[in-house]
Amino acid sequence: MKAVGARVPRYDGVAHVTGRTVFVEDVEIPGVAWVKALRSPHHHATITKLDTRPAEQMKGVRAVVTAADVPLNVYGHLSALGIPGDEPLLADAEVRYLGQPIAVVAADDEQTAQAAVDAIEIEFEERPALFDVRKAFDPDAPQIHQWGNWYPHFEAGMDRRQIRKGDIDAAFAQADVIVQGVYRPAAIEQLPLETQVCQVVPEANGRLTIYSCTQALYFSMGVVAAHLQQPLNKFKFVGGTVGGGFGGKVDTATETLCSLLALKSGRPTKWRWTREEEFLCSSTRAPWHMEMADAVTKDGWILGRRMITLHDSGAYARFSPYGVTKHAFHHTGAYTIPNLHFDGWCVFTNRTPTSAMRGFGVTSVSFATETHLSRIAEELGIDPFELRLKNANRIGDTSPNGVVYTDPSTVPTILAIADHLGHELPADYRTMTSEPRSDGLLPEHLVAQVGNPEDH
Amino acid sequence: MNLNVNGRTHEIESPPLTTLLDVLREELGVHSPKVGCEQGGCGACTVLVDGAPRRSCLLPVAALDGAEITTVEGLGAAEHLEPVQAAFVHHYAAQCGFCTSGLLMAATAYIANGGTDDREAIAEALGGHVCRCTGYVKIVDAVAAAARGDEFDLSVTAAGLFTTTMSGGAA
Amino acid sequence: MPAVTDVLLPASPDEAVAAFGDGSGVTVIGGGTIVMPDITAGRIRPARTLLLARAGLAGITHEGSTVTLGAMAPLQGLVDLPAPVGPCAGNVADLEIRLQATVGGNLCSGEGAEAPRGDLQGPLLAVGAQIRSAGSGGITTEPLEDFLGHRRGRLVLDLTYEEPAAGAFAAVDRPHTHAYTTLAVSAARTSDGTIRLAATGAGWWGIRLPSAEAAAADPAAAGAAALKDVKLHDDALASAWYREQALPVLVRRALARLEES
Repeated sequence: MKAVGARVPRYDGVAHVTGRTVFVEDVEIPGVAWVKALRSPHHHATITKLDTRPAEQMKGVRAVVTAADVPLNVYGHLSALGIPGDEPLLADAEVRYLGQPIAVVAADDEQTAQAAVDAIEIEFEERPALFDVRKAFDPDAPQIHQWGNWYPHFEAGMDRRQIRKGDIDAAFAQADVIVQGVYRPAAIEQLPLETQVCQVVPEANGRLTIYSCTQALYFSMGVVAAHLQQPLNKFKFVGGTVGGGFGGKVDTATETLCSLLALKSGRPTKWRWTREEEFLCSSTRAPWHMEMADAVTKDGWILGRRMITLHDSGAYARFSPYGVTKHAFHHTGAYTIPNLHFDGWCVFTNRTPTSAMRGFGVTSVSFATETHLSRIAEELGIDPFELRLKNANRIGDTSPNGVVYTDPSTVPTILAIADHLGHELPADYRTMTSEPRSDGLLPEHLVAQVGNPEDH
Repeated sequence: MNLNVNGRTHEIESPPLTTLLDVLREELGVHSPKVGCEQGGCGACTVLVDGAPRRSCLLPVAALDGAEITTVEGLGAAEHLEPVQAAFVHHYAAQCGFCTSGLLMAATAYIANGGTDDREAIAEALGGHVCRCTGYVKIVDAVAAAARGDEFDLSVTAAGLFTTTMSGGAA
Repeated sequence: MPAVTDVLLPASPDEAVAAFGDGSGVTVIGGGTIVMPDITAGRIRPARTLLLARAGLAGITHEGSTVTLGAMAPLQGLVDLPAPVGPCAGNVADLEIRLQATVGGNLCSGEGAEAPRGDLQGPLLAVGAQIRSAGSGGITTEPLEDFLGHRRGRLVLDLTYEEPAAGAFAAVDRPHTHAYTTLAVSAARTSDGTIRLAATGAGWWGIRLPSAEAAAADPAAAGAAALKDVKLHDDALASAWYREQALPVLVRRALARLEES
């Protein structure tokens, strides 16, 4: 425990300030070929013609790879958990988002690679696109995914993540006020300063050395191995130096295709996305559509919450089902609501697929919950701090998915915020702790609802 | 044409409209300036051109014949850090490190031009640089400390609990 | 590597004018902040490029009340000039870009891909700048207002204007240093009391606001009148609706600041 209370240096601090940290693109590999991708110019279309021969015949082009070259083209981010894959590494027959990769080229330099991409002959038949999650369930909505317009593989074959807790009808019957709200946070790009990048070297011993900016090295190795249908010992991943990720570098965006091109051409390959590609084609934090109705007493107890969430997954599932699950488990924010009725769908649209970003699934509903609680306080005319403290998680309370809190931090956090802002609170709130609710704040008639943690 | 980079003169062979950034990284193997956006929007590629901070991704090399270029490699090595480098280490101003080179060069120019520890002036001088990790507070702390001439006993950090590796990350 | 066949690097204004010729097929690079990203990304592949870096043309001079700005003067060199020019220049991007971006490039860059650029057009219209340029028909001098209509095919040499008796600049705050200005209004009052107003961001080029000028004695009326002078548009920075709300406010602010100065 020598580190506790000590000034511990960053192990990489001096290397950073002397320019000696070696990021992926700083590894100099003689003869490395540049990679560029042919990406879909349409949000949703059928590919009616794809001819890569004009690119293959260009001087300086080392290899062109399409879906036909990928040993296992469709593999899912959650396949290792037994969930079927839905996303092709390279689009085959159909494109479902603008910027989806269809073919990749490795050439002697960046210009030649781009010229080769431009030379590929491709034709599309455009199809109607779906961008609004609210329209995904309409009978006449464009059908955009082989599984339908929403993800059907939650536990027990359910097509949604569902939470049922307590007696929601009784809670709403007891309510003095029902406060409703709709919250729609938009997509956010993770925006690492280092764009997606990797370099792959085919070694003499038949292995591939992969310099990767991945945030999840062993996960990425598994993804590459699965697509290539090769054992893990064929890959040496070199990672650990990431120029910012924030969730956006869990997707294994470049490594697999660079590996295929390296194997096909016998040359080392390098693919660095442009900033424009990073913005247009990489995963984002998801946009969400959340509707909630809270059953509230006039003195500020939240008895129940009904909630519907439509998670905009974009064109493929990636990590979105996991995000919806986290969202469901956290859908009461830092507060305990005894009666819950929640349904969350992972909806497909023709947007860029969404994926991990810093607490994904949770931040959206935290934003919604905090906004909603402030609105409840305003509607009831009571102090928003007192409302939050009343409904705060306490020791022994249970989360929406039944986890018993042993060390919740809502009360001290809110008290610290009030303190910091100089917000006055009555004595019984100021002295509140996370101990189980025995401080007499709870009105007698609600004890059965929220007062006794053993009951729920 | 010639460029003087960190005190050494190089004959440049890249085509005339090649960016200074590409010349440094691809032709000369100077890797501290980073490719962040290639459109002047992030500051990861900032170097000093005849002492002034410039985005190297926006400069055609043909316009720079005879110029003196300074990059992070031209500041202090590990054993002889410049105050601004030491301040970045001491104040934890570098996290992932990708924006650090550009920020160090902007800060170097700011201090060389008589910049003080005024936080607003520092924010104005570094305003074009994007850092996604730190939230900037520690960066401004570091530049202010260096501008003040604070001294750091880096032996405390350098001789910390872990051995500091100089080889850096991926290689 | 850019596929360039011909790069010209003139060492004087005369050489620059000769190399530019009638401008056909020539891509001009001043500071490079706008053209270089397009070349790097392959959006343009110029066959013939004129690099002005060594051509001179970078001076900023005062003779009495006459100010002359060379086309290659960096925007940072303008920052200390009186309003509206100085504050507008200081409101462009960040220090490093201002050290590199030039007056000529800024004036010639009205059409961005998704938003208007060319911040200086507004203040230089307000101060009634005359612009000297080369190209077909030789070197000409004309009001900036006329030039903006046909600036393609001209090589900017310099601008000249009389320092106004008073000037003011009002802009919508930029969300961060890299954003182009959504909308800005520049105002200048000459020694004979004439007031000139111009906007940047109320169209793809800077534009005079003659109706607002006519009503300048009443700032509120001038603000409303300004809407008659412009054709507002939606772009990546703001909607036409937003600009419609903001323009009268900025006109009022600019006139109020003009009154104070």
